Amino acid sequence: MSSIKKKTDQKKYWRSMDQLADTPEFNALLQREFPEGASELKDPVSRRKFLTIMGASIALAGTTSCRRPVEKIVPYVKAPEEIIPGVAKYYATTLPFGLNAYGVLVESHEGRPTKIEGNELHPATMGASNSWLQASILDLYDPDRSKYVRHNGNRSTWKAFAESWGKIAEEYKTNGGEGLAVLSHAWSSPTMARMQRVFLDAFPKARWVTYEPVSDENKIAGVKIATGTPALPVFTLGKAQVILSLDADLLLTEPDNIRHNKGFAQGRRLTSEKDNMNRLYVVEPVFSVTGGMADHRLKVQARQMGAFTAALALELKAQGVNIDVSTLGDYASHNFDKKWLTEVSKDLRRAAGKSLVAAGQRLAPEIHALVFAINAALRNNGTTVSYFSLRDKAVPARAELAELTQNIESGRISTLILLDSNPVFNAPGELNFKQAFEKLTHSIHLGLHANETGAAAEWHINGTHTLETWGDARAGDGTFSIIQPLIAPLFAGKSENELLHFLATGEEKTSHDIMQESWKSLSVFDQSEKNRRRVLHDGLLQDSALAPLRPRLRISALAAALRANPFPTAPASADDFDVIFATSNSLLDGRFANNGWLHELPDPVSKVTWENVALISVAAAKKLGVQNRDVVTVKVAAGEITLPVWLQPGLAENTIALELGYGRSRAGRIGDGVGVDIYPIQSLQYGYFQQGGSITPTGDSAEVANTQDHNSMEDRALIREASLDEYRKNPDFAPEMVQHPPLKSLWEEHKYDKGNQWAMAIDLTTCTGCSACTIACQSENNIPIVGKDQVNRGREMHWMRMDRYFSGDEDNPEMAMQPVACQHCEMAPCEEVCPVAATSHDKEGLNVMTYNRCIGTRYCSNNCPYKVRHFNFLNYTKDTPEIVQMVMNPDVTVRFRGVMEKCTYCLQRINEAKHRAKVENKSLKDGDIVTACQQTCPADAIVFGNMLDPESKVSKVRQQNRDYSIIAELNNRPRTTYQAKIRNFNTALAAEKKEHAEHV
Amino acid sequence: MESSVKSTAATTANGKVPLILGNPTFNTVTETISGIVENKPPRIWWGIFSVSVVLAAVGLSMIGYLIWEGTGIWGLNNPVGWGWAIVNFVWWVGIGHAGTLISAILFLLRQRWRTSINRFAEAMTIFAVICALVFPGIHVGRVWMAYYMFPLPNQMGMWPNFRSPLLWDVFAVGTYFIVSLMFWYVGLIPDLATLRDRAKKGIRKYVLAAFSLGWRGANRHWQHYEKAYLLLAGLSTPLVLSVHTVVSFDFAIAQLPGWHTTIFPPYFVAGAIFSGFAMVTTLAIPVRHFFGLKNFITNKHLGNMAMIMLLTSYMVGYAYGCEFFVAWYSGNEYEQFTFINRAFGPYAWAYWIMITCNVAVPQIFWSKKMRTKPIVLFIASILINVGMWFERFVITVTSLSRDFIPANWDYFSPTIFDVGIYVGTIGIFMSLFLIFLRFLPTIAMAEVKFILPQANPHAHDHHKV
Repeated sequence: MSSIKKKTDQKKYWRSMDQLADTPEFNALLQREFPEGASELKDPVSRRKFLTIMGASIALAGTTSCRRPVEKIVPYVKAPEEIIPGVAKYYATTLPFGLNAYGVLVESHEGRPTKIEGNELHPATMGASNSWLQASILDLYDPDRSKYVRHNGNRSTWKAFAESWGKIAEEYKTNGGEGLAVLSHAWSSPTMARMQRVFLDAFPKARWVTYEPVSDENKIAGVKIATGTPALPVFTLGKAQVILSLDADLLLTEPDNIRHNKGFAQGRRLTSEKDNMNRLYVVEPVFSVTGGMADHRLKVQARQMGAFTAALALELKAQGVNIDVSTLGDYASHNFDKKWLTEVSKDLRRAAGKSLVAAGQRLAPEIHALVFAINAALRNNGTTVSYFSLRDKAVPARAELAELTQNIESGRISTLILLDSNPVFNAPGELNFKQAFEKLTHSIHLGLHANETGAAAEWHINGTHTLETWGDARAGDGTFSIIQPLIAPLFAGKSENELLHFLATGEEKTSHDIMQESWKSLSVFDQSEKNRRRVLHDGLLQDSALAPLRPRLRISALAAALRANPFPTAPASADDFDVIFATSNSLLDGRFANNGWLHELPDPVSKVTWENVALISVAAAKKLGVQNRDVVTVKVAAGEITLPVWLQPGLAENTIALELGYGRSRAGRIGDGVGVDIYPIQSLQYGYFQQGGSITPTGDSAEVANTQDHNSMEDRALIREASLDEYRKNPDFAPEMVQHPPLKSLWEEHKYDKGNQWAMAIDLTTCTGCSACTIACQSENNIPIVGKDQVNRGREMHWMRMDRYFSGDEDNPEMAMQPVACQHCEMAPCEEVCPVAATSHDKEGLNVMTYNRCIGTRYCSNNCPYKVRHFNFLNYTKDTPEIVQMVMNPDVTVRFRGVMEKCTYCLQRINEAKHRAKVENKSLKDGDIVTACQQTCPADAIVFGNMLDPESKVSKVRQQNRDYSIIAELNNRPRTTYQAKIRNFNTALAAEKKEHAEHV
Repeated sequence: MESSVKSTAATTANGKVPLILGNPTFNTVTETISGIVENKPPRIWWGIFSVSVVLAAVGLSMIGYLIWEGTGIWGLNNPVGWGWAIVNFVWWVGIGHAGTLISAILFLLRQRWRTSINRFAEAMTIFAVICALVFPGIHVGRVWMAYYMFPLPNQMGMWPNFRSPLLWDVFAVGTYFIVSLMFWYVGLIPDLATLRDRAKKGIRKYVLAAFSLGWRGANRHWQHYEKAYLLLAGLSTPLVLSVHTVVSFDFAIAQLPGWHTTIFPPYFVAGAIFSGFAMVTTLAIPVRHFFGLKNFITNKHLGNMAMIMLLTSYMVGYAYGCEFFVAWYSGNEYEQFTFINRAFGPYAWAYWIMITCNVAVPQIFWSKKMRTKPIVLFIASILINVGMWFERFVITVTSLSRDFIPANWDYFSPTIFDVGIYVGTIGIFMSLFLIFLRFLPTIAMAEVKFILPQANPHAHDHHKV
C-alpha cells in the first residue's frame, strides 16, 4: 500500500509538517498575502535546504505560478530535483462534506492544483469521485470569492476586525459568553471538535448551533429513537444481495454515494451469464438516479413513505420475520401494490443478513427508526448497515436553528458567529431568519463568499478553500483524514480553525499549528515521524475507522414514537399536493451555485441545465393542461413561488418536486439569479417535503435549457438491455440484436494489428448515469461552459455526454443511461469528409483532431453518427477570468472559436504514460493509462486499454458476450464498445411488468 | 394548341409563331437593345436598385459581424451543423444552372429560341454563382484559414483531403464559375463592339473598346468567334451536369440517412434546372415589361420555359417519391424513419411547402393559357423558387436534426442573421443584375439578328419547289 496512485510509479511528495513547522519564515510566507518567495530566507544553505524540502511544496510552487505578476523570486539556479516542469505532482488531501469526508488526490502543475481525483486508499472514495468533488477545483478559482474582510459591506481589514472583536470579547469574557452563539455547518473533524471545545471553554455559556439544509439529521434522529443512541448509519452495498431503497438516492445525492456506487457495482458486475447479481428495489416519490438503476421501482407519494414502510414491516411479519408490529395495526389496510410488497419482502427475507433496507435523508426520523427495526429483524445491522459514533462530528439540527432564531428575536442572543453557513439564504422561509438576523448587535460571518449572509453581517471574514488550508476530517465511518493545502490562500483569508482559535483566545495561530496541536492530543495516533509522513502521504490514517456501534433496539421507545407521530395514510390529491424540496443533483443545497460546470451539467434525469424547475408527473401535467416550460405557481402554507414546470415520467401522482439551491442573489457572477429560490416556502418542520401544496399555471412560458429533447430510444438498438433470465437463456442477445449483411470495404482496410491499439468499454449494467465522468472530462480537457442561452441552442460542449432514455409506461417508466463520447471509429466517417484533413487517424487507432488545421466546416460532425463532435460556435473562453484560467490543464490545448473538438481518449494521459515508460525504460502496462472518465467513475463502469494485449482488462471485457458496438452496421468499427445492460428482475414481478407494458 | 392559335397575334406563312415578333429590322434590334443601355433607366429601375443595394449592404454588414463573432450568431446547433448557409449555397448554385443550360445545351441542340434569353440567363448564372460562393467561404468557423481548402504548396507539406466532397465542390464550382464567365464574355464581344461603335463620349468608349478586344465584325472574327463559342458550349455542357452532381455529393457521400442516396446526382441536376428556369422566368417577365422587350422575349419563350419547368417538376417529383420507395425497400430503420419524419415530423410544414410548390404548382403549366399568361407564370416561378429553397432545407436540416441517436435530436430555428444574410445575397444578386441591365446589352443583339428572317432570306425557298 505504498502507492497513492496506480498510474504513477514515480516518487510522491507531501508536505512535511515537522520540518515546515520549524521554519517560522515559512509560516509567515503562508500567511502573507503577497509572499515574495525565498529571497528573504537568510542564509543560502538554509535556502537551498528549504527548497529541497519544499521542492514539492505547493505553497512555494504556488507562489511561483499564481503570483507571477508580483513575483520576485529568481529562477532556480539549481533546480530542486523533485520539480520537473511539465510533470504533474499528486497530493493527498480531503474534501469534507458535512458529516462525511472524501479523500482525494489533487493533481498539481508547478504548484497550481488543476484536477481532483479520488484517493484509492480512502474508504469514502476508493479512487473514484463524484461530480461535486470533481467540480470543487473550480470553486477554488472562483473569481467571486471574497477577497477581503468587510465591515457592514465595506472593505476593511483583519486588523480592524481583530480590534473590534477584542472589545466584543471583553464583554463576553466577563459574562461567560451569555448572548453569544455560533452557527456552524455540519462538520466531522477532530481539530474542529477541539476548537469547538476551546471556544466553549472560553465562553462556556455560548450556544453552538449546527445547521444544514440537507443532512443526515433525520437518519441519526431515527437511530436515536430506535436505540436511544444517536448514530450514523453507514451502508455497505457491496455485501447486500437485495437492496430496498426507501426514497434514498444512494447512488447520487446521499452522502457516501461513491462508496455506495462502488459496492453496488461490485454486487452487480457480470463477466458472463453465469454470474449472479444483486437486486435493487426502489420506492420513491421522485425519479432519482438510483430509481433509474432499480430492477423494480415503485412510486409512492412522499407522505405515504411512512405508511409504506409500516406495510412492509407488516408484510415481513406476516412472512415470519421476527419484528414487533404491535403499533402498526392501522397500516394493515393500504392501497400499495400488494404483490410488490410480498415479493420484496420475500426477497429481503430470503437474503436476510445480506439484504439492506435504506431510508433516505428526506424521510421522517420515525421512518428511520422503523427501518432500523426492520434491518435488525433481517439481521442486516452490522453486516450491510453499520452504525458509527458521532465522535468529532457536529450534527445538524433544524430545531436548534429555530431556537436560535427565537433567541435572536427575543434578544437573548446578540452576537452570532457564522462558520461558513448561509442561513439568510438557506434557512427555511418559515423561520424568517433574515429578519431576525438584522436584530443582532454583532454578526461575524466567515465564508468563501460574501454571500447573502456575509453581505448582511456586520463583519465578513474571507475564508479559505479546503485546498488552501490545513485541517483534518473524519469520514462517515470515522476514518481519520488529512486536509493539506495545495496552494497558498489565493486571497489570504482565514480558515475556520484559525478564526475559532482567534475568537476564543485572542491570539492568531495558523491552521497548520492548530492541527499540529490536535494531532498531539490524538490518542490513536502513533506520533513517530515515520507515521506522520505516511499519514501525510496517504492523506489519511489507514485503518482508523471507528469500531461500529452495536446499538440495540428498544422496542417500547420505538412503539411510543410511532404512536406519538403516526404516519399519514391518506394519499395526496389534486388539491393537496406533496411538495418535495429535493437536493439538487447539481448544486446540492446551493453551495455550488457559482460553479459553472455544475450549472451546465444536465440533471441526470430531467436533463435540464442552468435552472430548477417544478417537476410534475405526466398525468398531473395533462390534468393541468401544461407542458414543459409553462410557468406555474406553486403554493404551500409558507408562501408561493413561480417557476417553469417540467414533466417527469414516473413521478408520484399529485407531487411537485423542487430543487434546492437555486435563485441565489449573492452567489457570484455565475449563480446570481439563476433559477428560483425555494427556501422561502420551506417550512421548518417539514424541511424536505410538505403537504397541502397546489399548483396553478400562470399562462406564461419560459426558456428552459435542456440537453435532450427526445426521451424515447425509438426502438433503436443503442442501449441493449435484457433481464438476467433472458440473458442466461440467450447470452449473445446483445450482439445479435442488430442483423446486417456482411460489412465489406471498398478498399483495403488498415489492419491496426500492431503495437498499442486503444479501446474503451463501458458497462451499462453498472453505469448509473451519475455524470461524474462528464465533469471529470470537463476538468481534464479544459471544456468550456457555454451558458444557458447556448445550451438552449444545443451547443453544450461536454465531450462525454450522458444519454438518458425512458421506456415502458409513461407513468411508471424504466430509465436507462448511456455515456457517449467519441467512439474512435477505425473507419471514421468524420475523417473521410474533412476537406482539410484536420481529423485523421493515428497508428494506435485514435481518431485525432488537429485544432490548428481545422477550419470549421462542421462536415465531420454532420457525418458522425454519434454526434459526439462539438463545435466552438463562439469564442467560449473569451471572457474566462484570469483566475479561472488557472484551473486549465496545461497538457490540453484551449480551443478557439471555429474549431471542432471531441473526446481524445485523454491523449495527453496516453502520452504522459508513454513518456514515463520511456524514461524508466519500461514497457507500458495495462492500467498505466487511465482516462479521466474511467478514473472518476465510481461504478468502475469504464475500462480503457490496449485491446491487442490479451491480458488487458479492456480486451477481456471485449471478449464478453454482452459486448456490442452501437451503429456499427455502418462499418465504421467503433473502438468504444458497450456491455449490455442487464437487470435482475424478480420473476414474479417481471411478468406483471411485462403485461403492463404490453397493455400500454 | 387550337385555342392558343387564336390568341397569337401573328403567324408566319407556314403557320408557326415567329421567334421575334414585330418584324424588326437589324437596325431596330440594335436601337431597342442598345437604347436600354444608352438611355436613362426607367424609375422602377432606381426603385428596385436602391432596395437591392440596401439589402446587399445589410447582408454584407451581417457577414462582417459573422466573421467577427463566429458562426454562433446563426441558429446552428449540435446535430444541425449545416443550416441556411448551405441551403442557400445549393439554392444559388442550382439557380445558376439555367444560364449555362440555355446558352450551352440549347445552343448545341440548335434551339434557336434561346437567343432572346441566353444573355441575361448567363448573367444570372454568373451572379447566382457569385452569391453561392459567398456561403462556403463564410460558413466555416475560421474564415481566415479557409485557404487551407486550396491545394497550395505550403511549409507543412499538408494537402487538402482529396477524399472530401467539399474539396470536390471547390473545384467543381470554381471551374463552373470560370467557364461560365468566359462563355458569357465571349458571347458579349460582338455586342460590346456594337455599343462601342455607338458610344460618343470618352471613358465609356475606351472601356467598351478595351472589352470588345478590337472586334470589327470581320469574316475572320466571326469564324473564330463561332468556333470559340461552339467549343465553350461543348466545354460547358458537361459542367451543367457535373456541378450539381458534385454539390449533391456533399450529401450523398455522407452516411447520414436522408443524405446517403444514390439518386441525388440526377435529382439535384433536375432540381437545379427547375429552379434555374424558374429564376429566368422570374427575371424575364419584369425585364421585358419594363424595357419594352416583349417582341424579343415573347410568350412563346415563356411557354417554352414553362414546359421545361413542368418536365423538371416531374423529375423532382419522381425523386421525392422514389426516395420514399427506396427507404421502404431498403429495410433500413434509420432511412425509413428519416423519410417518415420529413413528411410528418416537426419539419412537416417545410416538406409540404416543398411538395406544394415543386409538384403541385407546376401542374398549371399543362394549360397553354396559363403558361403564356405572364402574371401567372411570374407568380408560379416565384413559388417554384421558394419550393426549391425548401427542398434544400428539407434535405439539409431535417436529416440532420433527427439522425441516428434520438438523444441528439434537436430542432433548428434560424436567427435574424440566417435570414439577413440570405436576403442580403438576394440583394447582391439583384444589384448585380440591375447593373448588368443598365450597362450591358440585355439581349444578345448579334445572335437575335441571326434568327431574324432577314438573316436568312432564302429560308423558305425550298417550300416553293
